[in-house]
Amino acid sequence: METIKNALDFSDFPRLDLTVAGAVALCLIIFPLFPLSSFAMSTMIQFLMFALYGMGWNTIGGYGGQVDLGKAQYVGIGAYTTAVMLIRWDIPFWVSMPIGVCFAVTWSFIIGYPLFRLKGHYFAIATIATSLVLKDIFEVWEFVGAARGLEISPIKYHPPDFLRLIFREDIYYFYFILGFFFLGILYINWFRKSRLGYQLRSIKDNEDMARSLGINVHWAKIKTYAIATGFVSVVGSFHACYIKNIEPEDTMSLDISILIALMAMLGGAGSLWGPIIGAGILIPLKSYLKEWLGAQAGLVGIDLILYALIIMLISAYEPRGVWGIIEKIRRRKRA
Amino acid sequence: MKSWMKVGMFALAVLAVGLWMVPSGAWAQKEIKIGVIYPLTGGAAAAGRELRAGAELAAKIANSAMPDLAMPMAQNQGIKSLGGAKIKLIIKDHQGNPTLGADLAKKLILDDKVDGILGCYFSSVTKTVSAVCEQYKVPMINGSSTSPGLTERGFKWFWRTTPHDRWFTKDLFEFLVGLTEGKVQGVKAVPREEINTLASACEKTEWGSHVSGLIEEFAKEYGFKLRKSLLYAAKSVDLSSEVRSLKAARPDVMLFASYTSDAILLVKTLKAQKAHPKIMWGQDAGFEKPEFRETLGDSINGILTRTVFLPKVVDIKKLAGQVNDLYKEKTGNDLGGASARAFTGLQTWVAVLEKAGSTEPQAIQAAANSIEIPGKDLVVPWKGIRFSTKGKELGQNVLGSGLIGQYQKGKDGKMELEIVYPFDVSSADMIFPFPEF
Repeated sequence: METIKNALDFSDFPRLDLTVAGAVALCLIIFPLFPLSSFAMSTMIQFLMFALYGMGWNTIGGYGGQVDLGKAQYVGIGAYTTAVMLIRWDIPFWVSMPIGVCFAVTWSFIIGYPLFRLKGHYFAIATIATSLVLKDIFEVWEFVGAARGLEISPIKYHPPDFLRLIFREDIYYFYFILGFFFLGILYINWFRKSRLGYQLRSIKDNEDMARSLGINVHWAKIKTYAIATGFVSVVGSFHACYIKNIEPEDTMSLDISILIALMAMLGGAGSLWGPIIGAGILIPLKSYLKEWLGAQAGLVGIDLILYALIIMLISAYEPRGVWGIIEKIRRRKRA
Repeated sequence: MKSWMKVGMFALAVLAVGLWMVPSGAWAQKEIKIGVIYPLTGGAAAAGRELRAGAELAAKIANSAMPDLAMPMAQNQGIKSLGGAKIKLIIKDHQGNPTLGADLAKKLILDDKVDGILGCYFSSVTKTVSAVCEQYKVPMINGSSTSPGLTERGFKWFWRTTPHDRWFTKDLFEFLVGLTEGKVQGVKAVPREEINTLASACEKTEWGSHVSGLIEEFAKEYGFKLRKSLLYAAKSVDLSSEVRSLKAARPDVMLFASYTSDAILLVKTLKAQKAHPKIMWGQDAGFEKPEFRETLGDSINGILTRTVFLPKVVDIKKLAGQVNDLYKEKTGNDLGGASARAFTGLQTWVAVLEKAGSTEPQAIQAAANSIEIPGKDLVVPWKGIRFSTKGKELGQNVLGSGLIGQYQKGKDGKMELEIVYPFDVSSADMIFPFPEF
């Protein structure tokens, strides 16, 4: 009960933040009512997916300060668990998704235990390495379709199928992922005020100090890593049903890991709204710049240049991301 | 006014209004929108440019009358059975990303309301795009993805004009056997033990991994010894360890399935490491791109590539020569396997629409399932186009065939692809063994 109360309690945020957040939430809920293109809808679904990935990353990367660049491996575990179970044994999404989370969390414990002995850049590199190794294993593992991956056949199921999460229209996927998105926000809101959340922030500020206060630093990191993993795995399972085709090169690529981390860093690591802001900037930018400039105006590649420029500007001006800029402005106003 | 006159006037007025209200498409020139999805940026951008130019050239020929070209679509302006409706291509870039491909397919179907789709070159992207088309019951014709699995999924809205890798890989082994039997022009029968050991390196997405599996399967069937079979990432910036491992296997024949940038990198690395197999063969794609030839220059002399079209086809097919001239005028390059197949893909679309006489998906489906395009109307050297409608493979063209070409330096110093297989259409003596780099 106390947990639910905590999750729903946003009273420590200024009224302005809550008003903006409320307005955004309302816009999201009524989003499909606007006359929009299917491209806008798929961009919105991607935004919600990446916002959730970012929220997961933010627990360990933002609050905990451990730069994890291997999140794609958990996207893969979630996606493959759901796809394999559905294709081979017709197990619905709602059963395979939690099983995927269990697999992902178990794997996170296995690699988290030795990995959290490392610090800083070494940790970041090690997470990349484990992710790439897992991807390579999936690429030669025939049971999961090897490099060809797996396809959820569009002719085998009859949409709308709420059990297997197979739909033809994107609007269904939109509301499902929106539901996960709101639950994700509530969970992170609880998490940041939880005992583990405070422990993590103290570890980020000064690990030795935290240890001297009796915090089991190693264990706190492992636990948080598992939480981050769970988030990513749920969205990975959703990804399998939404895209209906998964292959290691697409689902577990280094690009995804980097994009997840970048999004949270750009928005503001270590803040509740940061990953959402980051995804809100980068995902539409990625989709629309490519579409308008790359495909229509024929300026192939300019989207990547602009994309990089924005990232460079923000990191040079305020390394704490967009949320850092907002807080700076606020502080100045108060002063 | 007499009552019969009143009735008559009324009837005329109704007729006039009725005629005015008939959907404009019935008479007016309608536009037929075909969504085209190709890799226009990224590692396969060079292939994407060729594919795009091939499809655009076919659309241009279909939309204007060119009576000199002996192909039905060049005889009329637009689609005759649809009142001269013009083909409009809406071109999108999938960047080799299957997820993006699926998103673009949805956009084309739902936002741009295309009548059909053509694409996507990368088998992995064709897989997701065809799945979206199947869901929305929108016809898709694929001209250049060769993973055999694509037509083994029981899809009813997907047709493929190109032969697939099973045929091409079989061609390779038939060629190797022919080499041992003295069937190759200009080469005496080569003792089997001289070309008995193989090694393959294929890119590791849908297409390459499938080719790798096929090489393994056929090597066993034809009794060759496959010493090494490895998969690599097409985006790799360094392939030296892969090449080292290939070299260490000391194979007589090296086989590759690579896209453009990785094909170039592979050959450069092989050259740097002084590899000297007796035969080097590439499964089309990167090995056949103009960039491959331009970047590597003389070092590709003697490399083999399978393809479906070589400039030498021009000598045996007048139509191919004429289309090749138009293509060269547009791009400065000769038609290649990718552009010729993209051309043929769109040509098939035009023929299907002409036969259907409608843009209704069901009519297009029925027309595609019963279409028969004779080989003489095609630029590619196939017997024709007829799609299989039953059995394990649905929507696969059963009249296609492949070629194996070899890069040879001509007297003018230019690197040309000469036909070495099928043996009866060989255009030059084969260079054997592969000269050292």
